Amino acid sequence: MYDTIVIGAGLSGMMAAIGRAERGEKVLVLAKGYGATHWSTGCIDLLAGCDDPFHGITQLAAQRPHHPYALAGPTMIEGGIARLRAICEAAGYPLVGNLNRHMLLPTALGALRPTTFAPVTMIAGDARQLRDGRPTLIAGFAELRDFFPPLIAANLRAQGIAATAAQLAMPPVGRQRDFSPATLARLCEQPAFRASLGEQLAALARQGDYARIGLPAILGLKHATEVVRDLQNRAGALVFEIPTLPVSVPGMRLYQILEDEFLRLGGRIQLGGFVQRGESISDTLVAVFSEAAAREQRHAARRWVLATGGILGGGARATPEGYVRETALDLPLQAPAGRAGWFAPRFLNEEGHPIFQSGVRVDERLRPLDAAGRLVYDNVMVVGGALAGFDPIREGCLEGAAIATGWMAGMS
Amino acid sequence: MDHIELSLTQSLDHCIKCNICTSACPVAAVTDAFPGPKYVGPQAQRFRHAAQPVPDESVDYCSGCRVCNQVCPTGVRIAELNARARAQIVAERGMPLRNRIIARSGLVGRLSSGPHAPLVNFTLNFAPARWLIERVMGIHRHAPLPKASTYTFRSWFKRRKPTVNGKRPQVVYFHGCSTNYYEPRVGQAAIAVLEHLGFEVIVPPQRCCGLPLLSNGDFPAAQKQHEYNVTHLLPYARAGIPIVGTSTSCTLTLKEEAPELLGLHGDDIRAVAAGTYDIFEFLRDLYMQGRLRTDFRPIERAIPYHPPCQLRAHRIGRPVLDVLGLVPGLRLQESRAECCGIAGTYGIKREKYQIAMDVGQPLFQFVRASGQDLALCDSETCRWQISHATGVATRHPIEILAEAYGLQP
Repeated sequence: MYDTIVIGAGLSGMMAAIGRAERGEKVLVLAKGYGATHWSTGCIDLLAGCDDPFHGITQLAAQRPHHPYALAGPTMIEGGIARLRAICEAAGYPLVGNLNRHMLLPTALGALRPTTFAPVTMIAGDARQLRDGRPTLIAGFAELRDFFPPLIAANLRAQGIAATAAQLAMPPVGRQRDFSPATLARLCEQPAFRASLGEQLAALARQGDYARIGLPAILGLKHATEVVRDLQNRAGALVFEIPTLPVSVPGMRLYQILEDEFLRLGGRIQLGGFVQRGESISDTLVAVFSEAAAREQRHAARRWVLATGGILGGGARATPEGYVRETALDLPLQAPAGRAGWFAPRFLNEEGHPIFQSGVRVDERLRPLDAAGRLVYDNVMVVGGALAGFDPIREGCLEGAAIATGWMAGMS
Repeated sequence: MDHIELSLTQSLDHCIKCNICTSACPVAAVTDAFPGPKYVGPQAQRFRHAAQPVPDESVDYCSGCRVCNQVCPTGVRIAELNARARAQIVAERGMPLRNRIIARSGLVGRLSSGPHAPLVNFTLNFAPARWLIERVMGIHRHAPLPKASTYTFRSWFKRRKPTVNGKRPQVVYFHGCSTNYYEPRVGQAAIAVLEHLGFEVIVPPQRCCGLPLLSNGDFPAAQKQHEYNVTHLLPYARAGIPIVGTSTSCTLTLKEEAPELLGLHGDDIRAVAAGTYDIFEFLRDLYMQGRLRTDFRPIERAIPYHPPCQLRAHRIGRPVLDVLGLVPGLRLQESRAECCGIAGTYGIKREKYQIAMDVGQPLFQFVRASGQDLALCDSETCRWQISHATGVATRHPIEILAEAYGLQP
């Protein structure tokens, strides 16, 4: 019934799905649950440890020909990012940045984190601006766990940024018990809540003559750009969001925008569809089976994109015996031979740990290979965190590699 | 140890505390009474031990919609943890009279339907009576209660002359309480469609699937119902005759809810589960095998469609969209709202009515904004809730399919 089935609903899977749907194909996204978008910052990290990310990628691709960036190539990297930015722009939630320059944005610990593209709601927090000497306020709600303005401000001060902290009073909302980031984000879209928040920010900004105010990234789910603009107007200062611990509201926004676009293109999404195994004729994957009530559901398609993520995303699982297996199609994984090889002796090893580079080895068209380098499936492409040969978190390229390889699967 | 048992004990560690479930939970989004699936599910579970009192009563505010299961990235069966926790509370403290009554939908239906149905319906529409029922019973005075039918589906089926003769492939129809006592027209449409497709339809003796008992925590009573149904459906399941239902919650209960929550895994239970299909799942399978007639009359219209939680819990995608998508001219607009709020008997309870109405707001707005005078939904209590909240008539998709085939049930 489908031309393409994409397994996995993270950034790489959604980019691939949108690409295929734009080409007029009938596409299904089949996913166990929400993907890593909901755990991530909502920013696009391209590459850490360099000044010019795009230049860094070019160098890296030359040195490591099996790296996802080398496989995707500059056209797909640029093309995928351009498409994603256009989708977000059209949704009124622009991703701001430049391929040749990093921003340094504060984390919930007050560290400065390099990223290449960030939602417009975050960019006033770029360290280059924060270091201009004008005072910055970091504010939050005591009710929101794991976001401590005094800690953030103290760590920013240690890095030469004039930051102070304040706690906001929770406007009367008729709820007392629990405030998850998503609860607060929904509240921010209510005018009364926002007015009270704006009044408090205005009073604080007047007292401390603050040029900018950093707030937890809970400023609206569907209308974040307007919420931030409104708060800036009320406060008379720039407002920027700082990503919280999961669940990540900016990550939810990004997923929602991609889902909207995919559905607009006529795609179909099935969540709760945990792929268990495949059915093949020689090197052609003809169907997969997803877990369902009482029996499996069979899904047939002409071509497939595997976007199930790595160990974090659940695309790879370790067995108690020390094997690592690919969960959806049982593809051969490139991984250390036994548990003893998973980790380097030092916890903070400079080169990372070998287990985090495990994944599916692919050919130059992203098709899966076995240990001997033979093609496993002719009509399957593997994208994003499921790929072998890179350590996305340590290298700071999780989103960049996901977009580049996802878009490649969407376009080729 | 079955796999729910496993998630109750060992695999609680599968929960990585990411809060995706809590952020997606439609109940936690509107009320403080329910702190969210993560807290009452995998977290509180660490404090629940046999022979010790239940630590937290807020689990009773879980509506059982299973949105948490659907979005969990690590596959924790949160809704089942909650259902079992509620049953433990009920086993410890007993069940309020109200829940004992509304959980017995077969009994309530039997008493309400029949020639005296107009009187029942009048009473249930009579404000002072509803006020009294709310005070005495705890059923909210505005709660959407169905209209009892003057005849049952089973009596209609017995009286009718079969429209097909000769040797035909057989299929068993599981009508459920709502079709039998409140909406016989849904069953009539299903029979008409199945016979149009060349099947001989068998309607064996059956009782309530037991889902209302399960969701109100009376597991022993639910087990009796399920065992009765298995006994009567087993010969067909063994003979390879598919069991097809129009109530997506009944088919889910036969397939999975009853066996899993009650921990029943015998061969007979499994055979019935494996032989049970939601009707559109069955029709989609026929289509994939090239056995579905497509002699449709065009229906030139757009209709909003809400895939209910209990259908999504089958984890079979959107069979209604797949099948009704074949009807020329018909454009279904899929609702992306999480839940209508009612969750079976949840939203009719006095203390939960407003929560249910708040949960359903995004769906109600979607239905109203469509500007259509008809909506579709596979689940009966959801249809009643949608109609109650929006005033828009809400029907089972099988009724539209019957219309597309030009069938007069």
